[in-house]
Amino acid sequence: MNPGPKVIFHLFGQELLPVTDTLIVGWASVIIILILAKFLTVSLKLRPEGRQNIAEFMVELIYDQIEPMLPGEGWDFLPFIATIFIFIGVGNLVGLIPGVTSPTGDLNTTLGLALVVFLVSQYHGMKEFGIGGYLKGFAEPVIFLLPINIIGELAKPISHSFRLFGNVVGGGIIMTLIYQAAPALIPVPLHAWFGFFVGLIQALIFGMVAIAYISVAKS
Amino acid sequence: MVEFSPEVVDSIIRIASFIAAGTALIAGVGPGIGMGYAAGKATTAVRRQPEARGVIITTMLLGQIISGSTGIYSLVIAIFLVFSV
Repeated sequence: MNPGPKVIFHLFGQELLPVTDTLIVGWASVIIILILAKFLTVSLKLRPEGRQNIAEFMVELIYDQIEPMLPGEGWDFLPFIATIFIFIGVGNLVGLIPGVTSPTGDLNTTLGLALVVFLVSQYHGMKEFGIGGYLKGFAEPVIFLLPINIIGELAKPISHSFRLFGNVVGGGIIMTLIYQAAPALIPVPLHAWFGFFVGLIQALIFGMVAIAYISVAKS
Repeated sequence: MVEFSPEVVDSIIRIASFIAAGTALIAGVGPGIGMGYAAGKATTAVRRQPEARGVIITTMLLGQIISGSTGIYSLVIAIFLVFSV
């Protein structure tokens, strides 16, 4: 019982380029998202009907999370935050299919996403204050706090990625233990909890924390 | 000085890391108390001002996320301890 990603094959036969099951499922969920996005936005009309309602509901749900924290810039950050939100949401939900490993149950996926968020927040901080002004912000309110501020900044992507990874893997381990103890009926409501509810909440939380980091860097 | 065979040393390391993994999860107490406190305060706030429900829930979730991080750290450390030996 090893919860880590399993290497399926090596790209071009190189030892340095392993292709894991989480990587394959991750790309599959990207393709699922592409097909869904295409399907939901066929023949857009000014007066929405049918599937266009679902697309508008999702866009507005994410927009309503961004707008209070980054006033006036909701539409600028919507593509980035919505990408994270939808990818993690779909990535958590495909883990419900038996035999499919969730791509977010791999530290490589979550750390990659968290590093992208980290770089984006640094970029916006520097854009807001200029590089010198932004770096000076680390030495405030007094210069002695400089190392603590830097460590606090570097801890952000670590805690950000470990949170999602820990939640998904922890749920998976509990499910595996329950399957060994009670294989019938009892796991069904727990799947609804660990797979469905925790998965969607974690996607929302990952996106919200990303918004919070960007808005902290900009203020 | 007692000499142990490699198998004995290996099982001692195994036992030690399992005990350490179990002990690491004591860290789950703190986040539990903290998140419960935040949820209780948010309930009071919603009762006082039901129209500000959305903002209160967002703020509560953000605070709970931050306080829950330490619990997740201990969980990740426990997972690494259990599955790396």
